[in-house]
Amino acid sequence: MSAVLAVPGIEHNFFTLTLLLQNLTNALANGSVYALMALTVVMIYKTTGHLNFAQGEMAMFSTFVVYVLAIEHGWNIWLAIVLVVIGSMIVGAGIERVLIQPLESRSVLAPVILTLGLFFILNGGAATVWGTQPKTPIPAPFPGHLDDKVDIITDRLPHFFITYKAIGVWITVTVLVILLNVLLKRTKLGLAYRAVAANAESSLIVGIPVKRMLMLGWALAAGIGAIAGAIIAQYRNVLDFNFMAAVLLFGFAAACVGGFDSIKGAVVGGLLVGVVETFTPALFTFVGSELSLVMVLIVILVVLYFRPQGLFGSKRVERV
Amino acid sequence: MTTMLEVTGLDASYGPVQVLRGVDLHVDEAEVVVLLGANGAGKTTTIRAICQMVDTKGSVTLGGAELVGTRPEKMAGLGIAHVPQGRGTFPELTVDENLQVGAFVRKDRAHVRGDIERSYMLFPRLGERRTQLAGSLSGGEQQMLAVARALMSRPRLLLLDEPSLGLAPLIIQGLFARFNELNREEGVTMLIVEQNANLALDIADRAYVLEAGRIVLSGSAAELRSNDAVRRAYLGF
Repeated sequence: MSAVLAVPGIEHNFFTLTLLLQNLTNALANGSVYALMALTVVMIYKTTGHLNFAQGEMAMFSTFVVYVLAIEHGWNIWLAIVLVVIGSMIVGAGIERVLIQPLESRSVLAPVILTLGLFFILNGGAATVWGTQPKTPIPAPFPGHLDDKVDIITDRLPHFFITYKAIGVWITVTVLVILLNVLLKRTKLGLAYRAVAANAESSLIVGIPVKRMLMLGWALAAGIGAIAGAIIAQYRNVLDFNFMAAVLLFGFAAACVGGFDSIKGAVVGGLLVGVVETFTPALFTFVGSELSLVMVLIVILVVLYFRPQGLFGSKRVERV
Repeated sequence: MTTMLEVTGLDASYGPVQVLRGVDLHVDEAEVVVLLGANGAGKTTTIRAICQMVDTKGSVTLGGAELVGTRPEKMAGLGIAHVPQGRGTFPELTVDENLQVGAFVRKDRAHVRGDIERSYMLFPRLGERRTQLAGSLSGGEQQMLAVARALMSRPRLLLLDEPSLGLAPLIIQGLFARFNELNREEGVTMLIVEQNANLALDIADRAYVLEAGRIVLSGSAAELRSNDAVRRAYLGF
């Protein structure tokens, strides 16, 4: 049956139902993590207009602290994650206040360059403190044994199953997006945050402490990043000082596709990037998995050609 | 009559460029005062200096309390509402959210909803568009929204910077009729910067003329209306 579809360059097994479904679950789990990283990018960009290049390394650092608490000290993993998320939020707000704010008025590029510097400090710092070798065991927020899975199609080969890890990733992302929406759309704090994103000067006029809202953006980004780090370390089964760099690239790609100022865009963009990243090497035999980032970049180019503000991003309206 | 706003010896500058030089003016309680002047005379800067949004020296007091050195985000809480030039609405928030944000400093959340409904009675167009994004409104509607938003903080002093800019004559008349109502019926004190001097002097008690960063003339609205120099420069007859 499968020999019928022997098209050069196309992996004919790709169309096997169970394999297709397996790829799809992978794509959506990866994509969900990219969506989280894209959300961190969006939370900071909306109010400050900056990209934070250290976002991935901040998440990596947080994940190492989870490792220390949960593995080295044997704390409950979720307790460790909650404490690290709170700590990361405080540190994120502090970085904005102490390092970014003083540069803000001087130059548009200075804060961005500073986040690049922060990238190298955190990257090198983690390598110095925890070494360059991958850590084992990796903290496991979700049951991660080989048989921790839901079997769905078992009457043919290969089987189709969904791991608890993947389900955990989906639930985490869904819950976070709902909480974020409630915070931004249903609370006075969220309204103030969105007001600053829409018009910082008028926000001052109505009495919103604008600088604190910028800190809030950084705090939310750092907290979401810490969760993303902890779940992707388990999902990808790797924890070392470099493990978040590529993830952040995909997160930037997702935010770019979805629109740098849109939460909905971050989620859709993340899933889209996850699908492209997983499906192109699985479908085309001449696309190795190393080339998947290139495929993602091609998708970005196509989207931005037709919608420069991204799929859901708002056009910046300049009034005179 | 008690003085609400008192500005003495006000200097203001953008970096090295000094715009205001020793401006003195005052606004009494329940008064409407107009600030006239050519482009670049420093009218907008005067408003921004009162709100501490530019570097200032000198003294600005509101009900006796010094404002110089206070952070700009504190002004709303002190009772100053500011409608900046170019509207200053929140384009990515809905009309209703714009009004909610206008009440950010208020503690009496229970009354805020009622005030929003009152805004819709005052400006029915806004009520029809309450769920639309402010960015999708026409220029006149955005100006109404900016004014309604400013009133949401229940201000003691309303600072209006070129409220008529870019609006059709009929809309401008409606807007100024509203200002007049607000002042007569609710006693809202106003300082208005306005190019349309005729219209502004109609509802004003007093006026100042600003030239190159200095107050060169002041008096009652009627006095300024009959002043030859003012007539030639700002009233056009």
